[in-house]
Amino acid sequence: MSFDVNFILRNLPVFLEGLTVTVQISALAIAFSLIWGLVVVIARLSRVKALRGLAAAYVELVRNTPVLVQMYFIFFGSAVAGYPISGFMAGLIALSAQNGGYVAEIYRAGIQSISQRQVEAGMALGMQGRQVFSIVVLPQAIRRVIPPISNQGIVIIKDTALVSTLSVAEMTYHARLLTDRTAAAYEVFFTLALFYLLVTTVFSGVMRLLEWRLRVAQ
Amino acid sequence: MFDILIANGHLLLAGAVVTLYLSAGAAAMAAVLGAGLALLQLFAFWPLRLLVEAYLYIMRGVPLLVLLFAMYYMLPYAGVNVNPTAGGMVVIALYFSAFMSEVFRGAILAVPKGQWDAARALGMFGRTMMVIVVAPQALRLAGPPFVNTCIMLVKGTSLVSIIGLLEVTMAGRQIVERTLAPFQIFTGVAVIYFLICYSLSVYGRYLERRTSYVH
Repeated sequence: MSFDVNFILRNLPVFLEGLTVTVQISALAIAFSLIWGLVVVIARLSRVKALRGLAAAYVELVRNTPVLVQMYFIFFGSAVAGYPISGFMAGLIALSAQNGGYVAEIYRAGIQSISQRQVEAGMALGMQGRQVFSIVVLPQAIRRVIPPISNQGIVIIKDTALVSTLSVAEMTYHARLLTDRTAAAYEVFFTLALFYLLVTTVFSGVMRLLEWRLRVAQ
Repeated sequence: MFDILIANGHLLLAGAVVTLYLSAGAAAMAAVLGAGLALLQLFAFWPLRLLVEAYLYIMRGVPLLVLLFAMYYMLPYAGVNVNPTAGGMVVIALYFSAFMSEVFRGAILAVPKGQWDAARALGMFGRTMMVIVVAPQALRLAGPPFVNTCIMLVKGTSLVSIIGLLEVTMAGRQIVERTLAPFQIFTGVAVIYFLICYSLSVYGRYLERRTSYVH
């Protein structure tokens, strides 16, 4: 048993092919989670009681069931219902649905962490409720949610590995095929882990840069 | 409509028992490992601390599924014949120990500075101070985030179905292959996970309420 670096170099195109799909689905899932989370948090904080209850129930439901089961439900369910969707779509929907619930809670914590005095100060300056929210609360809340959003993004990137079970040809899927074909398990999984570390490190680096750009001198 | 689910319910429940057993074992291991890692990260000599940081970096950046596959494919080539249940449990524990260490580290750092100073003023050092003053308060603070990590862990055990372990998700897949009733069966699977995780989260919220009037 030896570690063959040339094997890795020879098969680099395979990993890069998988990488593009992983990056694609990660980027889409993060974007949709951020948007869907916003919809959910608006419902969660609305004045309508039924809407609030519905959003709270949704968040509990998606956060307390595994994303893998949600993927299976959507993928196999849609096929039986007569509207088959691709593994990529099913994975994307499940990832966005689950992480949208988490992101909504992050937004909520961010909004509610802004001191009531800030709101009162805005009112005292003659702002309307909506103005207070968009001018005073939101800019401060956005800064506060960047670190937890960054963590959630990493969770999403890692969870994209699960779509390999729906035969989506991302990195993990290619790695499994390659191992089955060549039996070079050490080389393959070492490289695969390295690629995931690369993606998550670049992502958290970009988020840290964003945090730094948006910082306010205290 | 749900008679398929009722007819196969016993198979799902048998799977649920495996899920619970896996979760409990992995959570216990992850907690012990995580606490050790947190202590090392905070108090160890720097080369060891660096090693711990590297371990945490890898565990946080690589998907659990990849670690499970790595165990599943790599160990047989190394000549190790591993029992998949034990192997899966250990990999899950190793993965979540990184998150547990964050829980314990945060809790230790959240013990007010005045408590450490007071302990020192009373002539306590190192282990005495940790055991008598810091640990009891830190453990109380660690309760709610610990429960949250356990919820993540229970959900994470669903991944061992991919390497062929017959727990509740795998049981669900097998029944679906036979009955072609994914909506009913996966609803049943989801309900089982929901019952486990939601009761944990209710307990977590109870702990949070209880700890919040400590200070």
